[in-house]
Amino acid sequence: METPAIPTLTLEGVSKSFISAKQTVEAVQDVSLEIANGEFVVFVGPSGCGKSTLLNMIAGLDHPTAGKILVEGRPVTRPSPDRLMMFQEHALFPWLNVIQNVTYGLRWKYRFKPRFRKARGKELLNMVHLEEFERARVHELSGGMKQRAALARALAPDPKVLLIDEPFPALDAITRQKLYGDLQEIFTATHKTIVSVTHDTREAACHGDRVIIFSARPGRVKGEVQVNLPRPRDPNDPKVAEYAQQIMRELEGELSNEKSASDYE
Amino acid sequence: MKKAPAITSRARYYVPGFYLLLFTIWQLIFVFRIVPDYLFPSPVQVARRLWELATDGYLWPGVKATIARMLVGYGIALAIGIGVGLMMGVSVIASKCMKSLFLGLQTLPTAAWVPISLLLFGLSDHAIYFVIIMSAIPAVAIATSDGILQIPPIYWRAARTMGTPTYAMPIRVVFPAALPSIVTGVKLGWTFGWHGAVSAELIKSSVGLGYLLYMGRELNDAPQVVGIMLVTIAFGLVLDRFLFGLIERHLRRKWGVGKD
Repeated sequence: METPAIPTLTLEGVSKSFISAKQTVEAVQDVSLEIANGEFVVFVGPSGCGKSTLLNMIAGLDHPTAGKILVEGRPVTRPSPDRLMMFQEHALFPWLNVIQNVTYGLRWKYRFKPRFRKARGKELLNMVHLEEFERARVHELSGGMKQRAALARALAPDPKVLLIDEPFPALDAITRQKLYGDLQEIFTATHKTIVSVTHDTREAACHGDRVIIFSARPGRVKGEVQVNLPRPRDPNDPKVAEYAQQIMRELEGELSNEKSASDYE
Repeated sequence: MKKAPAITSRARYYVPGFYLLLFTIWQLIFVFRIVPDYLFPSPVQVARRLWELATDGYLWPGVKATIARMLVGYGIALAIGIGVGLMMGVSVIASKCMKSLFLGLQTLPTAAWVPISLLLFGLSDHAIYFVIIMSAIPAVAIATSDGILQIPPIYWRAARTMGTPTYAMPIRVVFPAALPSIVTGVKLGWTFGWHGAVSAELIKSSVGLGYLLYMGRELNDAPQVVGIMLVTIAFGLVLDRFLFGLIERHLRRKWGVGKD
């Protein structure tokens, strides 16, 4: 068992610069954070604050120019099913059906346990309410269903940290709200450590145990809001709205500084 | 949405009607002696000659020989084409170097491979295989590499985070992600290979569709020439439409690409 003294995720002075022939752009500057086991942390910031870059670095898809990222005390060097990412685009594979997509990440860890893989896949499809779409093709699913399938796929290998990169803005309001509910339900049931990125303050207040506020370019930690509300939270609850306003106030100085609104991808 | 089925249901009559018209014009040209009849056979003469060829046991062995050569030559071309295409898709350097070469080779008429193949392999079936292989490779390789280069980067990233080992990437991600494009190349390669096979048989062979065409010309047998042309078209069309077409459509349906 893990000793509670070691946080699941540690960021120590993480910085990232993109160096091109013309200029050096500092995307993330000196970010230090500790995220405990089972915590739901939301990064909020204006576009171009490097929050997606930070998430990519935690995933191991990108490397910090300075500082360290540790998962349970071990440095992150490359991608691993320890830290699974739910991408902005669902990124489901069109050559596989829904359950094959969901069980994809189990293939190498449980190579000789096809029955376990199948059972785990079904369990997750149940969790995201897609049990009837086990054999459907990806293109047959609606936008919200695709994101739910992507969520199931990211959860299947039982990652230590689930990373969520703004997968909701592309959806309509009702679908999004349903997904908020599903995500909280899953969080309450599994107590997974989740780090998500958004620029929607209400979403942040609805999801986060802790909301980290980032400043614009270069991305720095500017503030932090603890959301002390019971779950499940309704995004339309006035208490959630109050927190959202508090987050907004913290952000506001930054939003007015925002010049060119392009995120680093 | 409502218009599409109406058009296709009417097209069911248009297409046979078009061919009926074509054959009628053909017959009329013959009836009115616009071209001398020993040069220009009627549809009926062609059909009769084909029937004779079939019952005398010339037609089927010819078709079989050409298809057998295609299976060997095209099989080799596929293996090389997909292999080289995968290489081009993975390595930017390989892609830069080979792409211009293959695009260049693709502009070469397939029949232009025949003289060099005769010089290299003499009067053997190997010469025909060589023509088929060289005709088919560029299309297959280019389509394969294009397919790989067009794989959305998000698939790579998703596959990497989900622990796909490097050795499994080609089978689990690269190949399936590029498959629709590869199938298009496979189809195109078959057409080029088929051109090459008949061209080569025309000049060097003692059996096959190309040989039957050549014999028809030698014997001034216009009905045979036209008849074999029709058979060649028919086989090309059947394989293209029904075999590769079906595979392609199945893939498109499965993937949900190319649908409105």
